[in-house]
Amino acid sequence: MGNHQLTSLIKMANQIAANNTHIGNETEEATMVANHLRKFWARSMKQQITDYLIEGGEELSPIAKKAVAEL
Amino acid sequence: MLQYFDPDKDYGTPAQLSENMITLEINGVSITVPEGTSVLRAAAQADINIPKLCASDNLEAFGSCRVCAVEIEGRRGTPASCTTPVETGMKVTTQNKRLGKLRRNIMELYISDHPLDCLTCPANGNCELQDVVGAVGLREVRYGLEGSSVETRTHLDAEKDHSNPYFSFDPSKCIACSRCVRACGEVQGTFALTIDGRGFDSTIAPGQNQPFLDSECVSCGACVQACPTSTLMEKSVIEMGQPEHSIVTTCAYCGVGCQFKAEMKGAEVVRMVPYKDGQANHGHSCVKGRFAFGYATHEDRITKPMIRDSIDQPWQEVSWEEALSFAASKLKGLQQRYGRESIGGITSSRCTNEETYLVQKLIRAAFGNNNTDTCARVCHSPTGYGLKTTLGESAGTQTFDSVMYADAVMVIGANPTDAHPVFGSLLKKRLRQGAKLIVADPRRIDLVKSPHVETNHHLTLRPGSNVAFINAMTHVVITEGLEDKTFIANRCEESAYQAWREFISEERHSPENTESITGIPAEELRGAARLYAGAKNAAIYYGLGVTEHSQGSSMVMGIANLALATGNIGREGVGVNPLRGQNNVQGSCDMGSFPHELPGYQHVSDDQIRGRFESVWGVKLDNEPGLRIPNMFDAALDGTYKGMYVQGEDIAQSDPNTNHVQAALRSLECLIVQDIFLNETAKFAHVFLPGASFLEKDGTFTNAERRINRVRKVMPPLSGKQDWEVTQALSNSLGYEMNYNHPSEIMDEIAQLTPTFASVSYERLEEMGSIQWPCNDETPDGMPIMHVESFPIGKGHFAITEYVATEERSTRRFPLLLTTGRILSQYNVGAQTRRTENQVWHDEDVLELHPVDAEDRGLQDGDWVGITSRAGGTVMRAKLSDRMQPGVVYTTFHHPGSGANVVTTDNSDWATNCPEYKVTAVQAVKVSEPSEWQQRYNEFNNQQQGLLKQRRRNKAAARD
Ligand code: SF4
Ligand code: SF4
Ligand code: SF4
Ligand code: FES
Repeated sequence: MGNHQLTSLIKMANQIAANNTHIGNETEEATMVANHLRKFWARSMKQQITDYLIEGGEELSPIAKKAVAEL
Repeated sequence: MLQYFDPDKDYGTPAQLSENMITLEINGVSITVPEGTSVLRAAAQADINIPKLCASDNLEAFGSCRVCAVEIEGRRGTPASCTTPVETGMKVTTQNKRLGKLRRNIMELYISDHPLDCLTCPANGNCELQDVVGAVGLREVRYGLEGSSVETRTHLDAEKDHSNPYFSFDPSKCIACSRCVRACGEVQGTFALTIDGRGFDSTIAPGQNQPFLDSECVSCGACVQACPTSTLMEKSVIEMGQPEHSIVTTCAYCGVGCQFKAEMKGAEVVRMVPYKDGQANHGHSCVKGRFAFGYATHEDRITKPMIRDSIDQPWQEVSWEEALSFAASKLKGLQQRYGRESIGGITSSRCTNEETYLVQKLIRAAFGNNNTDTCARVCHSPTGYGLKTTLGESAGTQTFDSVMYADAVMVIGANPTDAHPVFGSLLKKRLRQGAKLIVADPRRIDLVKSPHVETNHHLTLRPGSNVAFINAMTHVVITEGLEDKTFIANRCEESAYQAWREFISEERHSPENTESITGIPAEELRGAARLYAGAKNAAIYYGLGVTEHSQGSSMVMGIANLALATGNIGREGVGVNPLRGQNNVQGSCDMGSFPHELPGYQHVSDDQIRGRFESVWGVKLDNEPGLRIPNMFDAALDGTYKGMYVQGEDIAQSDPNTNHVQAALRSLECLIVQDIFLNETAKFAHVFLPGASFLEKDGTFTNAERRINRVRKVMPPLSGKQDWEVTQALSNSLGYEMNYNHPSEIMDEIAQLTPTFASVSYERLEEMGSIQWPCNDETPDGMPIMHVESFPIGKGHFAITEYVATEERSTRRFPLLLTTGRILSQYNVGAQTRRTENQVWHDEDVLELHPVDAEDRGLQDGDWVGITSRAGGTVMRAKLSDRMQPGVVYTTFHHPGSGANVVTTDNSDWATNCPEYKVTAVQAVKVSEPSEWQQRYNEFNNQQQGLLKQRRRNKAAARD
C-alpha cells in the first residue's frame, strides 16, 4: 500500500480544522471537526487517520489531532 | 365563453398580470380580461382570431402592419387591435365589409412585393403570410412585381446569408415586420439586428450590415422563431421539410432546464422549438438547446456493448448478456479478493433522476457499500453543504421568474449570459427595466457592459479572496446598521446570530482592512453593500466562481449570511440562487448520489431512515459514508480500490490534476463506462456499455430552481436500451433483483422514500407540466419560493465564516493565477457540442491573458503558450484580452487535447472536496511545440482510437 490516501487525509483534516477555529475553545472546535469527520468520512479513511495518530500523527495540526483522537 | 390557455396558440400580445379585470364586448360577445390586455389578445382568448402579422405574444406590440385593424364604437378610424388596450364597456367589431377590404388592400401591397414561389418555399405549410393572405381572402394582385420600381425591388434581389451554421437569411422574403429585431432585443437582449429605412423599403441586417456569423449574434434562434415567413429559417427545415408531429421534452445541457417541442418527421428530429409553456424558459432558448442536438445521431456514437481484459487490447463487441455477465463476474471477483469496499461507482448529473437513483441504489444495495459519488462533487457540493447549514435545504430558494421582482441583483462568480443563457436574457430584461446590478468577478464578463445594460459596481476581486470579500460586505451591513432587525429577530437563531455578529463586526473584516486581500477599493465595496442592503428586494445569483475554491462552502454560507442579515429570503425578487452547471446537478444531488446521504439528503447513519430504505430495498445497508471521488482515486493508487461503474461522466477530462486521475484509472482492474461516446474515461475502460441520449429516453431532470421537468423519448434508443434498463440489467446480473417496467415506477419508489418528493408522480407531472420540490402533503403543488414562513431547520442559522487563504498563491515561480470557466457554445467536456456545428464558434481552448502580462512574456495573439503549475503543464494558444485583470489568466476545458486540467491541482474545498478549479498559480511562457503531456495524450489517444477501429475490423471479419 502506498500513502497517496494518507497524504490527502492529513491535508483534509488540517484544512477542516483550519476552517473551524473561530470558537476560541479548542475542545469545542475539536468536537466540531470530529463530527465533520464522522459525518463525511468513509470507514477506511477514519481508520487510516486514527492509525496515523497512534503512530504519532506529526503532520496533524493540534486541533486536528484532538479531533482524530475523539473518533 | 371560450377561455383556456393553449400554449401552441399565438395570442398576439403578452399576457398581463393585473388583478383589475375589464369587461368589454367583441362582436357582441362579453369578454373579461386583466387590465392592460390588448383588444387583439382579448379577442384571441375568446377564439376570435383577428388577422395579424407584426404581432406575436412574446413581443411588445409594434403596430406596423395594420392588418389587425378593428372598429370600436364611438371611435374614429380603424385602430390596430394589437396596440389598443381594452377599456370597460368597449364595443369592438372585428370583421365587416370595410375591414375586410382594408385588410385585402394591405395584403395586396405585401404580396406585390413578395416572391410568389410558395410551392417550393421552405415555409410552405407553416407561413403566417400565407395564412393571413388566405384569411383575408386576397384574390388578385393589381401591382405586379414587373411594375414595381427598381428601388422597391432591391430587397428581392438581396443576397442570401448562409453564414450561420443552423439558419439561413433570405432577405427577398422579408416583409419588414420587425419581429426578429424585437425578439433579439426584448427576448434575447443581444440587440444584434437593426431595421433600416421605412415602410416597404425597410431592410433587416445583423450588426453593421455583416453576415450573421460575424455579427454580435449569439445564435439563440429567437429571431428565427419569431419570423412569420421563410426569411429566417432553420437549415434543417430547408433540408427536410416541415415536421409532422411533436413531443415536449427538456434540454439536456444546462441547469436552466428549458423545455422544447421536438418537432419530428418519423423518428428524426427536424427542429427543436422552445416550448411556450416551459415554466423555466417560456418559449426561449440558447444555441445549445435549440440547435446543437446533432450529436445524438453522430457517427461516433457507439451502440454495441464492448469488453476487453486490459486496456492495451482491442475492444470486442459482444451481446448485452455477455457484457453484463463479464462485468458482474469481474466486480464480484474483485470484492472476493479485495473486500466489499474495493468497488464503487459514479452517477451522472446529465442522466435522469430515475437513472441516478438507480445507480446509487445499485451501489448501496448490490455492491453493499456507499462508494457512490457524482460529478456535482466537482461543481456544486459546497452549495449543498453551505445552504443546508444556514437555511436548512440544499437548494436555491427561488424561481427564475422571481428575478423580475428584484430591485438589485448581485451576480457572484457566475457568467449567466454564457453559462445559463436563458436566465441571462431574463436578468437582462429586468436590468433594462431599471434593476441595479453588482457583479463580483475577476473578469469583465458580458453583463458588466452590454447593450442597454451597465453594472453599477464591478467588484474585480482577486481569485481566492471570496470569503474576505463577502465578510467585508456583511461587515458593512452590520456596522452601518443596514441589517433587517425584524427579520433577524423573527426568523433567525438568536445565539448564533449574536456570536456571528460579534465576529463580523471586528474591524479586521472592514473593506479598508481587506482591500489588500481582495483588491477591491474599499469605497466601491461599501457602495455595493449599501446598494444591496438598501434595495427593497435584493437577489444573489452565484456560480462556480463561488463553489470551486478551497473555501467554497464558507463562501456559500457567507452569501446566505448576507441574505439573512438583510432579510432577503422568503419572497419574490430576493433569495440565494445557485446557478447549476449541468442539466441535472440538482437532481443528482437530490437522488442520493453522495456517499454520506441517501436520496433526499438523508444521512446513512440515521438508523430509522436507513431502516425504511432497507425494508423497501430488501437488503441490509452500510451505515458509514463511502468514498468521495478524489478519495476513490487515492485509494485506487494505494491499491485498495479496484473497480468502478461510471455512468455518463468523463472524469478523465473533467476532474482536476489529470495526471493523477489517469494514473488512478490505469490502476483499476475493472472500469465499466456507460456513455454515448468513447469518451476520455472510456479509453481506460474494460467494459463499455452504450448509453442513450436524452432524445432516446423517458425520465425527469431537476433544474436549478428545483423544478422537476419531464424528459420524453422521441426516438428509440440506438443501442436498444435506455440507461436505466442497463443499470437494472447489471444489477440483476449481480444477483440483486430489479424489476421496473418504466421510469414512472422508479419515481414512485423515490416518492415513497423521499419526504420532499412524496407527492411527485408522472401523473402529477403530466397535469402540472413541472413541479418545484418539496412536493408532499403540505405543499401538494410544490413550492416555487422557499422559506416563506420558516426554514426546514426552524430558524435561519448565521454561520461563522473565517477567511483562510488558499495554499495556492502566486509565487516567483508561478506568478499568475489561472481561473477556468466555460463559454456559450460549448458544454462542459464538450463531448456533445464538439460533435455539432457549434465548433464554428470555439474549436479550441485558448489562454486569455491581459496585454500587459503578454507583453512581459513577448506573447502575441495566437502564439503558442506553455502553462505550468506545480501539478503539470500544457500548451495552448494565447488570446490577448483586456477582460482580464493583469496577473489573472483564464481558460476553458471543453477540448480534451488542450489539457486545462493537467494544470489544475488537487486543492479542494475544506468541507466537500470540491476542487479549486478557480485558482491555480501558474507561469506562462512562449513555446514552439505542444507539451510533453499533449504528446503522450496524442499517442494514447491514437492507440485507443486504433483499438476501437480494430473492433470494427473484427466485426467485419466475423460477418464474412
Ligand atoms: S439568433 Fe438570437 S442573437 Fe442572433 S440575431 Fe437572432 S435573436 Fe439575435
Ligand atoms: S426577417 Fe422575418 S421577422 Fe424579420 S422583419 Fe423580415 S419577415 Fe419580419
Ligand atoms: S443549454 Fe440551458 S439555456 Fe440553453 S436551451 Fe438548454 S437548458 Fe436552455
Ligand atoms: S398585428 Fe397589429 S399592427 Fe401588425
